[in-house]
Amino acid sequence: MTETRVLDAGSVPERFARGWHCLGLERDFTDGKPHSVQAFGGKLVVWSDSEGELHVLDGYCRHMGGDLTQGTVKGDEIACPFHDWRWGGDGKCKAIPYAKRVPLRARTQRYESVVRNGMLMIWHDPEGSAADHESLPPVLEGVGTDAYTAWTWNVIEVDNAHCREIIDNVVDMAHFFYIHFAFPTNFRNVFEGDKATQFMESTGRPDMKAEGYGDEDLVLKSEATYFGPSYMINWLDTDYKGFLTKVILINCHIPTGPNSFNLQYGLCVEKPEGVDEATAKYIGDKYAETFEQGFLQDVAIWQNKAPVQNPLLCEEDGPVYQLRRWYEQFYVDQADIEPEMVERFEFEVDTTKANENWRAEVAENLARKEAEDRAAAEAGSAVETADA
Amino acid sequence: MAYIVPSLRETLEDRELYTRSSLSDVTCRQCQARVMVRKNSEHHTSIQWTREAVETCAVFSDLDQREDGRPVHSACPQLVASIEYAVSEGMVTVGAGVDPAGLDRDRRADD
Repeated sequence: MTETRVLDAGSVPERFARGWHCLGLERDFTDGKPHSVQAFGGKLVVWSDSEGELHVLDGYCRHMGGDLTQGTVKGDEIACPFHDWRWGGDGKCKAIPYAKRVPLRARTQRYESVVRNGMLMIWHDPEGSAADHESLPPVLEGVGTDAYTAWTWNVIEVDNAHCREIIDNVVDMAHFFYIHFAFPTNFRNVFEGDKATQFMESTGRPDMKAEGYGDEDLVLKSEATYFGPSYMINWLDTDYKGFLTKVILINCHIPTGPNSFNLQYGLCVEKPEGVDEATAKYIGDKYAETFEQGFLQDVAIWQNKAPVQNPLLCEEDGPVYQLRRWYEQFYVDQADIEPEMVERFEFEVDTTKANENWRAEVAENLARKEAEDRAAAEAGSAVETADA
Repeated sequence: MAYIVPSLRETLEDRELYTRSSLSDVTCRQCQARVMVRKNSEHHTSIQWTREAVETCAVFSDLDQREDGRPVHSACPQLVASIEYAVSEGMVTVGAGVDPAGLDRDRRADD
């Protein structure tokens, strides 16, 4: 007799990951107005100074708690809407227009920021360490030039899930079949240092072709790496009957609370030779729509699933425990990072059995659809005969 | 402080089981890097490196010299060959899967 398996929900302390987090596209913050970004259980204010440089501070004025995101940019500073205290990008209060002098302690939480690949990145560390520029995501050669379309950008609010749910996807081979209607044929993971990579080859599912998911002629090679806890670059090369497309997808998130996060994604497409500007943009927008659907499929699962610290795995599953061990490095003090959290780990999933069974399932679905279509056509002609 | 604390003692045992059990020691025949390997099946491979092993690996050391660094997903072909050899020599058992049912048996034996 086997005992009943119990789900361990665990308990989630309110601590947010150490590392670089992306707040959005640089171009969306440069209009001279203050911008509000929900992050780390609070709110941040983002603005650009007279030189166009972006600054990020905690959203609330250290005087009487006024909401700086509703303030005004005055010169290089953000002015509080409550009493006009002026805060500089270095986190110091620069002036209080009605006061003789600024109190010495007038210093607020500042986030060191960098614009990388057209995106605003900030360093977050509960221990308050200096930003680690070595761990920034790499510069994407050619992105931001004529060779690529401009970034698309979308945000999805997830209000009932820990952001580790999206991290788990790195190792989740089987969900690509069931949730995203793809057919993974090769699947491999590598974790090392602060990077976690998923390498996947997949095709479309012939039984989902009518729903717009492509068929077996659509061959996808995907390499996706998390650079730190929240920022993934996904290089996607698709081949549809010889038509090659190179897409770069950014999948990143900001935790907004202990059980919520904002999922953000943007993509750009390497403009194929001989394809005009409008067509390239059209291709990019189409991909953005497809990924929007994909992320919403994930979100629907996360919003309703139970948190589980003790997943029960089968042999065709990816290395969930090792991935979570890797992810834990961003949630402990730097002094407490265990060697095994950062040591290299490789895992190749055996997709043989899954592919065999999925092929049979797809064939069954196709046969059923064909029978349904035939029955519908016969019913249609029967009605026509009766009418005549 | 851990970031998500399990509520059940058994969760820690599961974690040990999935990350540490059924591993075989494999030494690279080229550079003596030592890793821990598990093979659930012919096409499945799990490789746990240590920092020392990565530093010992000659292929990785070469890749580290590249201007943009070593691509994280690059496998070491020498190690892959060494694992294949270890499998063919029976030093790594293929089919060494893990299942918490084994733990259930152990727990019952303890009672």
